[in-house]
Amino acid sequence: MDTLLNLWSTIESWMLAFPVVIYLVKIGILLGCVFAVVAYITLAERRLLGFYQSRLGPNRVGPLGLIQPVADGLKCFLKEDIVPLNSNPLLFRLAPVFAFFPPFAGFAVFTFALPWVMPNGRTYHYSVADVDLGVLFIMAISSLGIFGLILAGWSSGSKYPLFGSLRSASQMLAYEVPLTLSVISVVMMAGSFRLSDIVAAQQAYKFYFFIPCIIGFVVYFISSVAEMNRTPFDLPEGESEIIGFHTEYSGMRFAFFFVAEYANVVFISMLAPALFLGGYDIPFVNDLALYGAHPNIVSILGVCSYAAKSTIFALFVIWVRATFPRYRYDQLLKIGWLVLLPIALANLFVVAGIKLFLLK
Amino acid sequence: MNAEKPSYMREVLETREMELNMGPQHPATHGVYRAILTLDGERIMKLNSVVGYLHRGIEKWAEYRTYQQGVPIYDRLDYLGAVLNNHGIVGAVEKLLQLEVPRKAEYQRVICDELQRLASHLMWFATHALDIGAMSVLFYGVREREPIMDLFEAHFGQRLLPNAYPIGGCRLDFPKGWTEACRKFLKALKPRIDDYETLLTGNRMWRQRTIGVGVISKEDAIAYGLSGPTLRGSGVCFDVRRSIPYSAYPEFDFEIPLGTNGDVFDRYLCRMKEMRQSIRIIEQALDGMPEGDLKGKAPKIMRAPMGEVYFTVEAAKGQLGYYIVSDGTDKPYRLHIKSPSFINLQGLNRMSEGALIADMVAIIGSIDIVLGEVDR
Repeated sequence: MDTLLNLWSTIESWMLAFPVVIYLVKIGILLGCVFAVVAYITLAERRLLGFYQSRLGPNRVGPLGLIQPVADGLKCFLKEDIVPLNSNPLLFRLAPVFAFFPPFAGFAVFTFALPWVMPNGRTYHYSVADVDLGVLFIMAISSLGIFGLILAGWSSGSKYPLFGSLRSASQMLAYEVPLTLSVISVVMMAGSFRLSDIVAAQQAYKFYFFIPCIIGFVVYFISSVAEMNRTPFDLPEGESEIIGFHTEYSGMRFAFFFVAEYANVVFISMLAPALFLGGYDIPFVNDLALYGAHPNIVSILGVCSYAAKSTIFALFVIWVRATFPRYRYDQLLKIGWLVLLPIALANLFVVAGIKLFLLK
Repeated sequence: MNAEKPSYMREVLETREMELNMGPQHPATHGVYRAILTLDGERIMKLNSVVGYLHRGIEKWAEYRTYQQGVPIYDRLDYLGAVLNNHGIVGAVEKLLQLEVPRKAEYQRVICDELQRLASHLMWFATHALDIGAMSVLFYGVREREPIMDLFEAHFGQRLLPNAYPIGGCRLDFPKGWTEACRKFLKALKPRIDDYETLLTGNRMWRQRTIGVGVISKEDAIAYGLSGPTLRGSGVCFDVRRSIPYSAYPEFDFEIPLGTNGDVFDRYLCRMKEMRQSIRIIEQALDGMPEGDLKGKAPKIMRAPMGEVYFTVEAAKGQLGYYIVSDGTDKPYRLHIKSPSFINLQGLNRMSEGALIADMVAIIGSIDIVLGEVDR
């Protein structure tokens, strides 16, 4: 044990000498975890859809089909990469990158638990960069993802993808404003844009923000489903109507869009608990440290609690996909502007009232 | 359309209509149907149907086969309603040769016809819902259809294209245990249909996607010659089983569900209700199954008298008619098939006026075309 600790302090002194190393290690761990989760949420969705639809889903590759994501990735990797003659080759190649990086970049500002305490008393935060304007950063970066879709459809030089990109542009107009307004109500409650502050505020108030912002939560859920491009708002894809913005893509470039979509699902499913469901706070327990628990146990339980909340949210999204038909894109615009926007605004006023008069 | 645009748009932005090929390879055209759409944005300005990608020359082919030899090919018209096609041609030849079909055989035909109608409607239900985006329904529809295919396999020896009836009657009695299996299936299907109705009929999204979409008025529907649920969705009470009775249908008690507005939703409701009526008919037929002969007195070599004959049945998609001109030999001089999908497809132009691409998909689904029948 002592040798281990000595080894650690050597490593630590090195890392402190070059702080960038800490960030690189954290980024490595985070990306690894996110990729694994994204890979397995595709499998989880396919298996779950199988159960909803009275079939089995992929269960051949490995036990319970657990190696299926690897097989899928390998398959996409080995496929021929086709760039249509009619396309704009530069934008065509760039679009998957645009779609791919925003959800992954967004994870940087998440805080996944209370800090980990080393035996020598040094603390390590479960976040890469817990910046002041975390929520704002997330809003900005997640809106960038739509450019990937628009560029992909537009640069394909084909008509069906063009429709996909037009639809995704109009879809963005529909969901972006209510989404932001519903998030702002949370920011107002917490009084901070920093994600860890928002969770801390929920711990301090001893209630989660979905209680005062219940309308906001519903608005957030609906518009985030639209942001994820999933049923009932999977219009840019609309597989039975326009086949989708990625019609012309093949092989790994298509896989980038695919991974980006699921990364978005994971991203939103992790953002929602932080904003509305108390993040890494453990429900029904006020403060574990009061019961004499070690801070590290608290932080591990916090990660588990966060993961459980996110999983429930993600499962809900999958359930929605198995149940509902698809909206038309003009109907989504109508819902966005005539239904979601007014109630998101009303929610803002209600939350402001609660904050002003009830929580003084 | 141009006139509706605000003036600044007309001056600054020149917008052009766009031509879009929907099909022949498109997931929602249910086969190799091709629609050339002229679009303003996603709104359909003009629709040009192109059919014929699946033309197999069945009508010409029939002229080179004797009446018995020709029977199996008609299964391939509407391959989701093969038994009904079979009933049509067999009935036409029987009418031409003035053959008497035993009553028991007629009952058996009614049972198999209605099972086939159920199978076809379930397949329609599955694909129509998938077109509108409810993906799980696809699997439910196919799952319910599976026992029907099993019943066909047990009785006919074939699942999809069973070559069901010979001219003059039926081949075999139902195998042992078949009737019970059939009753069991019907009993299980009834609550399932209720389930699916709760999943879709009351669903706001489903209603928003279907109500008021693809409207065709009563008059237009008649003028275009539509038939089947596509016609009845507009509120016209025409069902061959009732209007031009054939087989044993006059002996059964069933309702003909009608729509009011003639939109996608009404056609959907019509078919859902029709499935319940089919179950009713099958149950009555199973209960009242008469004793007696199955095979009629059909000659080995069928030399038809000179003349012409037209016989129609109510197929799953609508009125299916066979028109045979005989020159006195054992082969038809000319055989024409009035296929419901082909004629119903004509209504698509009227239904898709001012619709969006997404509506177009819903409308094609609601007409329930099978391209094997459209192109023949």
